[in-house]
Amino acid sequence: MIALRTSELNPEKPMCEQRSVARCVVVVGVVAALSVVLAGCGADAPGGSGAAAPDGGDDVLTVGAIPDQDPQELQRRYGTVADYLADEVGVEVRFEPVTDYTASVTAFRRGDLDLVFYGGLTGVQAREQVPDARAIAQRDIDAEFRSVFITNTGAGVDPIADVSELDALAGKTFTFGSDVSTSGRLMPQFYLSEAGVDPADFDGQVGFSGSHDTTAKVVEAGSYQAGALSASVWDERVEAGEVDTTKVREVFRTPTYYDYHWVIRPDVDERLGDGTAAKVEDALLGLDRSDPRQRQVLELFQAEEFIPTKPENYRLIEQVAREAGLVE
Amino acid sequence: MTPPAQTETGQRVPEPDRRLPDLSLREAAGTGARHGRSLIRRSWVVLAVVGTLASLIAAGVGQDRTVNAGGLPLVGDFFAAALRPRLDADFLALTANATLTTLGYAVLGTALSLVLGLVGGVLASQTWWRSATRRRRGIRMAGWGMTRTALVVPRGIHEVVWGLFFLSVIGIEPIVAVLAIGIPFGAVTAKVFSEILDETPQRPYTALLAAGSGRGAAMLYGLLPPALPDMLSYSFYRFECAIRSAAILGLLGVGGLGYELSLSFQALLYQEIWTLLYALILLCGAADLWSSAVRARRMAPRRPGSRTSRVVIGSLLAAIALLPISAWIVQLDLSVLGEAGTRELTVQMLGDSWPPDLPSGGWTELLQLAAGTLAMSVLAIALAFLGAVVLAFPAARMSRAGGSPAGRAARLLMIAATRGLLLVLRAIPPPVWALLFLFVLFPGILPGALALGVYTLGVLGRLMAESAENLDDRPLQALRAQGAAALQVFCYGVVPAATPRFVAYGLYRWEVTIRETVVVGVVGAGGLGLLLDQQLATFDYGGAVATLLVFLGLTLLVDLTSAAVRRSLHT
Repeated sequence: MIALRTSELNPEKPMCEQRSVARCVVVVGVVAALSVVLAGCGADAPGGSGAAAPDGGDDVLTVGAIPDQDPQELQRRYGTVADYLADEVGVEVRFEPVTDYTASVTAFRRGDLDLVFYGGLTGVQAREQVPDARAIAQRDIDAEFRSVFITNTGAGVDPIADVSELDALAGKTFTFGSDVSTSGRLMPQFYLSEAGVDPADFDGQVGFSGSHDTTAKVVEAGSYQAGALSASVWDERVEAGEVDTTKVREVFRTPTYYDYHWVIRPDVDERLGDGTAAKVEDALLGLDRSDPRQRQVLELFQAEEFIPTKPENYRLIEQVAREAGLVE
Repeated sequence: MTPPAQTETGQRVPEPDRRLPDLSLREAAGTGARHGRSLIRRSWVVLAVVGTLASLIAAGVGQDRTVNAGGLPLVGDFFAAALRPRLDADFLALTANATLTTLGYAVLGTALSLVLGLVGGVLASQTWWRSATRRRRGIRMAGWGMTRTALVVPRGIHEVVWGLFFLSVIGIEPIVAVLAIGIPFGAVTAKVFSEILDETPQRPYTALLAAGSGRGAAMLYGLLPPALPDMLSYSFYRFECAIRSAAILGLLGVGGLGYELSLSFQALLYQEIWTLLYALILLCGAADLWSSAVRARRMAPRRPGSRTSRVVIGSLLAAIALLPISAWIVQLDLSVLGEAGTRELTVQMLGDSWPPDLPSGGWTELLQLAAGTLAMSVLAIALAFLGAVVLAFPAARMSRAGGSPAGRAARLLMIAATRGLLLVLRAIPPPVWALLFLFVLFPGILPGALALGVYTLGVLGRLMAESAENLDDRPLQALRAQGAAALQVFCYGVVPAATPRFVAYGLYRWEVTIRETVVVGVVGAGGLGLLLDQQLATFDYGGAVATLLVFLGLTLLVDLTSAAVRRSLHT
């Protein structure tokens, strides 16, 4: 860059002034470097006592969650969840605000997150990256998750009665949600393939809108003729009148599958004491709507209760993900 | 090929450009350097026009399906929310907190980039390598070439990708955001600093060398002092860029406005989005004002005893004071860098990423996507450049002789309005623009190009306005004194003087735009960005490296093209 040529600026600048600026810059630079190093190391100091430390070290259970619906609600009120777990499990709990799926799986692998509420696919990915990690609990609604296929009313697609008729969507423009979303991408892609529709059969490149809400909106706008998203997000938006159902409508609801679940790292017991993982599991499964605080936690997750889960529940997701090349 | 005339006057002559057909070069050689230059320049203009048209065709403009009027009400919804942002106390507190965090990352990221830029800038300057002994010319050229090429690597990779890399080896730590901003920005800064050093008068430096001083000392005392004002001014510009960049990086878990924005954006809560955008606009606007103040002082004519250096030094001290404060705000912890785990994971990660792995479609797919990305960047920069040329002059505080008070007030109002518009254009992050354009267009290259285009227009318009303000006033006064009308002064005084700088800024932002295509790839815009996103999401590091190599290739291509264009502008 940059067409600043000194000759144009100020050829006659007195030399002494240049020197004083130069000296100032050197002094100030040294001070700056020192201050950052000091501040950087100083940040360690309060870490010893634990509570307020940003980097609490090895005696903290770090938790993350990226739910499907209203993630901002949970992320901005995560204190409720962290407090509950801290009291029940008896260790310090810190909630890490990670909103990016890839970043959260990366952090889980790195050991920066101990317990994460993952989607079906990201949970499989996380357990693939950390082989002994376990799925310990899911919401009641996660055992019967569904996706909906929606179309713009101008696209001329009639309601579809059976998976095999999803081929009516071939030749339309189509968007998924986030590329690693179970209900916004993976399972819709699976049901499409059951009907013999490959992503290449859509008109143009298939889209990845990034979120369920965005999928609903771009199909409503007509930018894409069809799309797929989580049924629970869709139902909530329709109920709240946030989508214009004269412009976008549901044409098909998939059969149920398993989705979100809590995944915990294998080294939690080793680091935080034997039985910690079991206590976490009990704390999650024991959440009860009759207790006001526990009710708050459940509401943040939009769940009636948490229920046990097992690895077999995610076999289908894993198989589909492998076929789609989303898991190695 | 015959080089164009090595002129009688000993003037610096542009080197032959390989893209040009032989014919034009021979013609140029025959008719003298001046004619040759203008021919080369004209060829560049033709090439730019042809490139833009080709990109328009690639983007499918003019086919039956381009504009989607059905999405207009949705865009209306978004802008209507601007009038009623979410303003309850809780959310305002959250926004204030996030704003401080973003500021902290921007300050620290800029500081790192300046350190890297200073070291890299010296090593990448021709002056440094030229000054070695006369022997070993080949080694010196190789050293210079290698530094320049090495700088392309950090520059061609987007901050978010850097962020993901550091996140996987360091973990969720504030230092991740600082490195993710500092490293790519450091490389850009190094490139700019090296150009500033090379364009600084070399006599004091060569004199010191001749007097037997070492290269380092000669540079420190002979070259750096006169180059400092330019470097400072650029540093402040970098700071503004860092704020916008920090606002994108938040989503990696390091917090700040970017994190809050990504949350609100996922659920399309427009009112929250607007509160956060206003915070971002304020922050960018403040940085903009500060930076303009410093840069204006530096440009202003200097009288004995002027307050120039006091403003500059005061700003410097303030910037320094911000450093430890920022480190405290974001709770920076440097010790993680030295941990054994970090080293192990870095080695492991690099092992996973090598060798590069082609996507399923092989080279054909990569090159096709690269063509799409290139087309998107060309359209974006063409739109941004033309728009910025139009808006730069109304936004510039150029001296005008006389004028009624009402006229002056109208002019001030126009300046404020255009500057405000440019500020809003660049404060709204490209992914938000991309969604808005996706509402009213059909998916493809075009919405992505427009999103990057309006965003870059905001950046470029501001840079160009400032450069228009700093034009040498004397030729314009001379024209006016001879009775030239305002339009004539503009056409014959302002335009010729402003063009080389405008073109230089445009070329520089073109390179940035290539990198930025990564963040709009997701919203149906396609290209390499979408591929990279999916490779990262599936932990296909080998594939991601292959895609990044193509990005680097594009960056290098743009770099070489801009160097050639700028050479042809040198008079």
